[in-house]
Amino acid sequence: MNNPYLPIPVTIKKITIENEARDIKTFDLVFNVKKDIEKFKYTCGQFAEISMLGIGESPIGIASSPIDEDLVQFTVKKYNTGVVTSALHNLCPGDMIGIRGPYGNGFPMKDFEGKNLVIIGGGFALTTLRSLTRYVLHEKNRDRFKDITVLYGARSPGELIYKSELKEWGERDDINVYLTVDRGDENWKGRVGLVPNVLKEVAPSSKNSVALICGPLIMVKFTMLPIMDLGFEPDKIFFSLEMRMKCGVGKCGRCNIGPKYVCKDGPVFTYEELQRLPQEY
Amino acid sequence: MENLKLKIIKKKDVLNFLDSLKEEYNILVPKEKDGDIRFSEFSSGEDIPWDYRNTKISPKEIFLPRTETLFSFKEGTLTPSDSGGVFAPANEPKGSAQKTDSNKRTANYLIFGIRPCDAQAFSLLDKLFGGDDFQDPYYLKRKEQAVIISLACNKPQITCFCTSLKGKPDNEEGSDIILFDLGENILTKPITKKGEEFIENLNSWFKEAKEADIEKKNKLMDLSLKKICSGVDLHNIKEKLDEAFDISLWNEIHQKCLGCGICTYLCPTCYCFNIIDEMDHETGGLATSRGKRIRCWDSCMFSLFTLHASGHNPRPTFKERMRQRIMHKFNYCPENFKEIFCVGCGRCIRNCPVNLDLRETLASLMSFGSMSKDKKV
Repeated sequence: MNNPYLPIPVTIKKITIENEARDIKTFDLVFNVKKDIEKFKYTCGQFAEISMLGIGESPIGIASSPIDEDLVQFTVKKYNTGVVTSALHNLCPGDMIGIRGPYGNGFPMKDFEGKNLVIIGGGFALTTLRSLTRYVLHEKNRDRFKDITVLYGARSPGELIYKSELKEWGERDDINVYLTVDRGDENWKGRVGLVPNVLKEVAPSSKNSVALICGPLIMVKFTMLPIMDLGFEPDKIFFSLEMRMKCGVGKCGRCNIGPKYVCKDGPVFTYEELQRLPQEY
Repeated sequence: MENLKLKIIKKKDVLNFLDSLKEEYNILVPKEKDGDIRFSEFSSGEDIPWDYRNTKISPKEIFLPRTETLFSFKEGTLTPSDSGGVFAPANEPKGSAQKTDSNKRTANYLIFGIRPCDAQAFSLLDKLFGGDDFQDPYYLKRKEQAVIISLACNKPQITCFCTSLKGKPDNEEGSDIILFDLGENILTKPITKKGEEFIENLNSWFKEAKEADIEKKNKLMDLSLKKICSGVDLHNIKEKLDEAFDISLWNEIHQKCLGCGICTYLCPTCYCFNIIDEMDHETGGLATSRGKRIRCWDSCMFSLFTLHASGHNPRPTFKERMRQRIMHKFNYCPENFKEIFCVGCGRCIRNCPVNLDLRETLASLMSFGSMSKDKKV
C-alpha cells in the first residue's frame, strides 16, 4: 500500500528573493532520486505539502509548470506565525527538504482549450496562475488556447513577484499583460489602481472566455462585481482557495467547506460550485 | 439455516479459551481500572466484566491511537513506523500508544467484548481511511489484522440512543462475531467469513446452541431494546440540514458550549487528526537531527484547528465550530460516505461538562422548519 504520509526528498537548488520586503522567496527544488520525478507528475493549479523534518509541513501551490523538466518551484511567503515558512526562509541552496504530493484537482486545462483566458492575480497569489501561464505560453501548447490576458496587481512596484518573467511576457505579442500597483513610486511608469478598477478599464470580453482569479480575499471579493458585469458566467470563473491543512489527502478533517475538502475536491473551484457551498472560507 | 451457525461456550471456559489464543493474538478485553473500563491486553486469570456498560474512552484508540508515530527520521533518513505494533493504552506503565514489542510473536489482534455501537463505528472509519483515492496504511493494517468480537448489550444506559441511528443492542455491523451473555453460557454468532473461520478453527470449545438458548437470547434482546427509551427522529436529517447552514438556531445551541472538545475526544466516530513533529532531545536538551513525525487526535471544537498562518480563521467562534461538528456527522458524511457518523453511544452526552445533550440539539434541528434564516450570513 502506498503511504501518502512519506515525503519525497528534494534538494534546494536555487533561492530567488521575489520582493522588496524580502518575505517572498521562490525555491527551485530538484529530486534527490531521479525516478521520483515520475511520482510527482502534476498539473497546473495543484499543490504539495512542503515537509521539513522536525519542523512540520505546509501546503503550498506549485509555481513551476508541468513543462519545466526535472525541477519543481514553490513561491513561499514567510509569515512570522508560520513555523514552516519561517524555517524554510532560513534555508540555503544545497539544503534538503521533503515534498508530499501533488495534491488537489488543479485547473481543468483540457476544458480551457480553444478559449480566451483572463488571468487575474493579486500579491503573491500569482504562483499557480504563473504555473498555468507558463504552461499555455509554451510553444507546444500556445496554439491550443486563444487570447491570453494577464492582469496582475500588487501593493507597490517592489511587491510584484516574478519581475523578469513579467517583463518577458510583456515583450511577447501573443499575450496581453496589464500590471498595476496600489501605490507607485518615482520609477514606476505603469498603472496605479486596484485590480477591480483596472479590470473595468481593460474590460476583456467574456465571449468564449474563462476567468481565473487568485489573490487576497478582499481583492477577490471586489473583483466579483466587475467580472460579473463583463458577462462571465459563474461556471466560467475559477478560483484557487487556501485553507489550513495537515494531511493533504482528505482525511484529517479541517480544510472542508461544507462537504467539500479543499485539499482533495479543490483547491480550484468555480464560482458556480462555491455558490452551492456554505460561506465558510 | 442461520441458527446452525450459533454456538455455545460456557462462560467459565472463556478465560481458558482466551488463554489458549494468547500466542496467536494480541487479545484486548475490557478491563476495570480506577473506576473506568478500558480495553487493555488480556492477562490470564483476570475475569471479563461481562456486565460492563461501556468504556469511557472509545475503542477507536485501538486502530487510531491517540498518538502514533508515522515515521521517525535521523539525519534526513526516514523510517516508516511499523503500524503492527501492540496497542497499549497511553496511561499504562511502560506503555506507549504504539510500542513495537519484539517479544510478541504476532501482529494479529483479537478484540473481545466490544459493544456493538463501537464495532459499528469501525465500519464507518473504514470508509474514511479506506476510500478509493488515498488509503491510510496505518489504520488499515491494524484493522486488517483484527478479529472483532462484540458483546450484545443486555443493559443499555439512559444515554444510549443507537436505535435512533442504525443501531440496536445486537447490531452486527462492524463485528466479525457477536456474543450474547445468557448467564452461564455465552451464545456466539459469526457474522463475517473471518468470524466463521475463527470459530470453525476453534470448534472444540463450542457446542451447538439449543432452541432454548436462542429463545433466551431473543427474549433478552427484546427486553434490552425496550430499555432504550430515549431517542430522536432523525428521518431525513441529511436533507433537513442541507438547508440549515444559515439558520438562527446555531446562535443559540452553542451558547452553553465551553469548547473543551471532550465530545470529539470520546466519540467513536470522530477521526480528525493533527500531524506534528517531535525532536528527540536526549543530548542534554540540544537540538538533534533525530525525531518523529506524529499523528495525534485533534478536535474541530478548537479554534487552532482551522486558524491560518495569516491570522484568518474560517471558523472563528464556538458557533461555527459547533455547527461544523453537527454538520460533519449528520450532513457532510452522509453526503460523502452515505453514512451518518454517529452510532448513538451517548459518550458525548454522559461526559459533557455543561450537559449539552446531542439528542436535544438534533431534535431542535429537526424541528427548525419554523425558524427564520439568519439574516447575516
